[in-house]
Amino acid sequence: MIYNIIAKRIIIIKTKLRKAGHINLNTKNIILTTKDLCKNFRAGTQEQQVLKNLNINVYEEDFTVIMGASGAGKSTLLYALSGMDKITGGSVSFFDTPIENLSADKLAVFRRKNCGFVFQQMFLLDNMSVLDNILACGLLASRDKKTIVSYAKEMLEKVGLTETIWRKFPTQLSGGENQRAAIVRALINKPRVVFADEPTGSLNSASGKSVLDVLTEINNGGQSIIMVTHDLNSARRGNRILYIRDGVICGECLLGKYVSGDEERHEKLQAFLSEMGW
Amino acid sequence: MKNVMKNYRRSYLKWGGNVKKLWMIASANIKKHKSVSITLVIMFVVAALLLNAGLLVVLNYGSFFENLKEELNPSDAYFLLPDAIYSEKTERYFNENEHVKKAQHNDALLINCDILSQGKDKGYTVIFRNMDEQLEMTKWKFIGSHLPAEDMAVYLPDVFKAVSGYDLNDKIKLNYKDEQGEEKTLEFTVKGYTEDIFFSSTDTGLLSFYLPEDIYNQVSEILNDPVYKIHLVFTDLDEIASAAKVENSLRELLGLSSASLMAADVSELLVMIDVELVEMSRVMMASMIAVMMVVFAFIIVIVCLLVVRFRIVNSIEEDMIKIGSMKSAGYTSRQIIISLLMQFGLVAALGSLIGIALSYPVLPAVSRVFEQQSGLKWEQGFDAIISSVTFAVILVIVAAVALLAARKVKKLTPIHALRGESSSRKYKNNYLPLEKTSTNLSLRLAFKSTLQNFRQSVMILIIVAAVAFAGSYGIIMYYNTSVDTKAFAEVPGMEICNVMAVLNPQMDHEEIIGEIKNMANVRKAQYLDEVKLKVDGNDVSGYVMDDYAGKESKLVYDGHYPEKSGEIVLAGILAGRLDKKTGDTVTVAFNGNKEEIFTVSGLSNGSSMGGMNTCILAEDFIRLNPDFKPQILDIYLDKGTDAAEFVKILENKYDKELLRSVMDFDKGLAEGMASYQNIVAIMGITMLIITLTVIALVLYFVIGSSVIRRKRELGIQKAVGYTTVQLMNQIAAGFAIPVSLGVIAGSFLGAVYTNPLMSVAMQGMGVMKAGFIINPVWVIIFGAGTFVFAYLLSLAVTWRIRKISAYALVTE
Repeated sequence: MIYNIIAKRIIIIKTKLRKAGHINLNTKNIILTTKDLCKNFRAGTQEQQVLKNLNINVYEEDFTVIMGASGAGKSTLLYALSGMDKITGGSVSFFDTPIENLSADKLAVFRRKNCGFVFQQMFLLDNMSVLDNILACGLLASRDKKTIVSYAKEMLEKVGLTETIWRKFPTQLSGGENQRAAIVRALINKPRVVFADEPTGSLNSASGKSVLDVLTEINNGGQSIIMVTHDLNSARRGNRILYIRDGVICGECLLGKYVSGDEERHEKLQAFLSEMGW
Repeated sequence: MKNVMKNYRRSYLKWGGNVKKLWMIASANIKKHKSVSITLVIMFVVAALLLNAGLLVVLNYGSFFENLKEELNPSDAYFLLPDAIYSEKTERYFNENEHVKKAQHNDALLINCDILSQGKDKGYTVIFRNMDEQLEMTKWKFIGSHLPAEDMAVYLPDVFKAVSGYDLNDKIKLNYKDEQGEEKTLEFTVKGYTEDIFFSSTDTGLLSFYLPEDIYNQVSEILNDPVYKIHLVFTDLDEIASAAKVENSLRELLGLSSASLMAADVSELLVMIDVELVEMSRVMMASMIAVMMVVFAFIIVIVCLLVVRFRIVNSIEEDMIKIGSMKSAGYTSRQIIISLLMQFGLVAALGSLIGIALSYPVLPAVSRVFEQQSGLKWEQGFDAIISSVTFAVILVIVAAVALLAARKVKKLTPIHALRGESSSRKYKNNYLPLEKTSTNLSLRLAFKSTLQNFRQSVMILIIVAAVAFAGSYGIIMYYNTSVDTKAFAEVPGMEICNVMAVLNPQMDHEEIIGEIKNMANVRKAQYLDEVKLKVDGNDVSGYVMDDYAGKESKLVYDGHYPEKSGEIVLAGILAGRLDKKTGDTVTVAFNGNKEEIFTVSGLSNGSSMGGMNTCILAEDFIRLNPDFKPQILDIYLDKGTDAAEFVKILENKYDKELLRSVMDFDKGLAEGMASYQNIVAIMGITMLIITLTVIALVLYFVIGSSVIRRKRELGIQKAVGYTTVQLMNQIAAGFAIPVSLGVIAGSFLGAVYTNPLMSVAMQGMGVMKAGFIINPVWVIIFGAGTFVFAYLLSLAVTWRIRKISAYALVTE
């Protein structure tokens, strides 16, 4: 009953958006698509449904932002889409290839080839230098060491990390430097999509901004990004905002490409979020 | 008193206070890390079992023999004389000899016979004794239950139960050849088992069968030939060393002095055995094995301690946040350390108690192995002192190691601990940068991890090297006792041939030797006699040979066998006693005749006559004893030739006048060595099994802990696309490096130091420089096998990586 109500609301919002001219006409390729995606968690004898029959598409070259309150299921959705977590029901397809039934090892290979990850806690390996962290990921997918090393260095320089820094261990760097290194690691295999889970969540505002600048820049270069955040400044970088509440996508906002200082765009996002009750 | 109580309370609070709470923390930790705790318990079980059993054998087996001596009152030496040379004169000699304090004379019957043992006919020299004779010294006793004498009752040495499996009321047949060469059988009914000091083990040559008087008389009638009749003279002496003097004087008195030690005529065979020789023969092997057990147990205890240290350091890292919350809640570092001490103390105590308890049911199995060789039935009851020492030693060392390892807790501030920051885990060097290395990625990461966890890698290397050393030692000993037994057979210092013929020295041998040499399957035949000599005034046995180049058992470890006249080789023990080395000179005399100066050309191994033996050329001995005529012919057959068949051929071809006796040396050697081989082979196999078990436990433990500790790292790797198999190989390869280095080092050290170790262990047996065969192929196979085993085991243990999900990492 409650799902029906939510679904109806979604249709109403979509109609409104379409009328307002914000609806994407879906001329881009679909990278990921879900059909009746469900994810349940069991806590003792109780089972909690976190994602409820989700049907969404993620498009190529988009900077898709998933927003929602804590516990809404946004990170769960991100990891379900990336094959990092097993789903309970429905399906997830990557370029029309279902991934929900792949074995753990096949999913690992899938992630290695197609996905890049940027986590809130960076998750760099403490026992390796920054460069090795990136190469340990890059050399996994390619045996062309020379190309990988030069691409890694190029990317590191691009995100503002000098040679002195990339020779250091993660524990010797600031949070922002670590996160930029993590972004390079995510990009080293030229993935079809980068998944970012609260990438600025543990950074101060200056570091957070530099990380968002990097993500925006790579998206402008054609890299598809799916980012989970509950930070308005981070969300502004996306061109497509999906709002999730209680495991259901209850709103979608199309903003167009990010341009710094675009106040109209910012207001539009705020209006959307207000409408979503954020 | 009040102050004492106050101090006690203060120290109680200082050292833990709320003990009950700490105890709860310790037991909760044990429950939380169940598999790790169980592994540690198993390791302590193995360590305590070996240590307690080893100490019980080392400390109690020797005293057991002493107690037995006290109970049975053996004489200092006994003399066995055939009836032909025993007379009133002999009796008077013993009664009047200045060195003999007391003598006891007993008649007996002696036969060489075959008895069915373990499904095969084995050769024994049996003496029948009248059990109803009253004995003042050298008594015997029953072992276990026995039945009343009826039928043809016989009371056998206990080895016939322990080794041959004869039960009460079983029939036992003794097959022998009478003087006419006719095959005869004596059949008895087993009514009980006995033990005495001199005649309970084949190692000392003779086994005593005790018969009730009437049955003894019946057997005397059956064996109604003087050749079977012997006289045993048990003597208490002024000192045991006088036994040789008494024997020499007796030989002179009986005119046996010109004879070789191996009498051509059995009726002239004089045997003297002293109680020290018997003790050495019966206790030394057990003592040697016990020392090995204790050394091996200490290796295992050290391994356990290294693992405990590793576990505590790991546990501090794993439970960093918990330690932080405990510290912030007001627990002192001391209290946390005490909870760790309790945790590991409890594990060590539990393991040690089980190990000590298990060592008691295991000891009878060890005792049975010793029993096969020594003929002594050693029954060890509970020894509270030794077991308490074992328990205390393990606990104290564990507590000390745990205290040292847990010092780290003191350095942790609550806030650092709560953040999960280990104060010591700071990476400084980026070993093997991926940019500059170019092998398989998993291997590169494995190497990096090995170098970064250098201490852990060194610990594994040391552990594996220690146990691989013990394992390779075990495999080498097994090889020498079960595959190529030549070196082991040479331990007593004998020349290994296939058939030994005793010729009549009074007759011309030229024709018979020529014929034997030309017989089918005969590779070689040469004289090698053993005679009595005096070297620098000491009675020694001397091997006499025309040309030592023909000797096949090369026992000289320093210098060379006599090559020219005036050269002598001294056994290591003798050289030690005389303080002589190669190049020194000694005086050699025979039977009080003229003395000659000999140059020591070499030193040799060999336990013959308690290590008091020498080698000289025949030409030199003939100078000292012009009457000498060689009589012992060693015959070497082609490989695969049946020596028993050859013996029959010789016996049929030549009469007793010329060929006094022929011995199947192959059979004698196999029977003589069997019990030793059995013990060493069992020991070798046990050490190998324990080695592999310890390696398995250590790897299971260390890799298991490592996977838990590196959960985050593995989760990250999984997230970025590493498969479970890649990670398994990465971890297994990381451990394979110290394991392989440890196996190589341990196997190499085992190969290099087995002989020096055995030289130390067997010096008392006359083996000054052991020359056991080190077969490199076997050692390499052992090393490679251990490595493959360790690698497969590592893969099996790392299989748990599949359970680590990347998702769990980000959600934790």
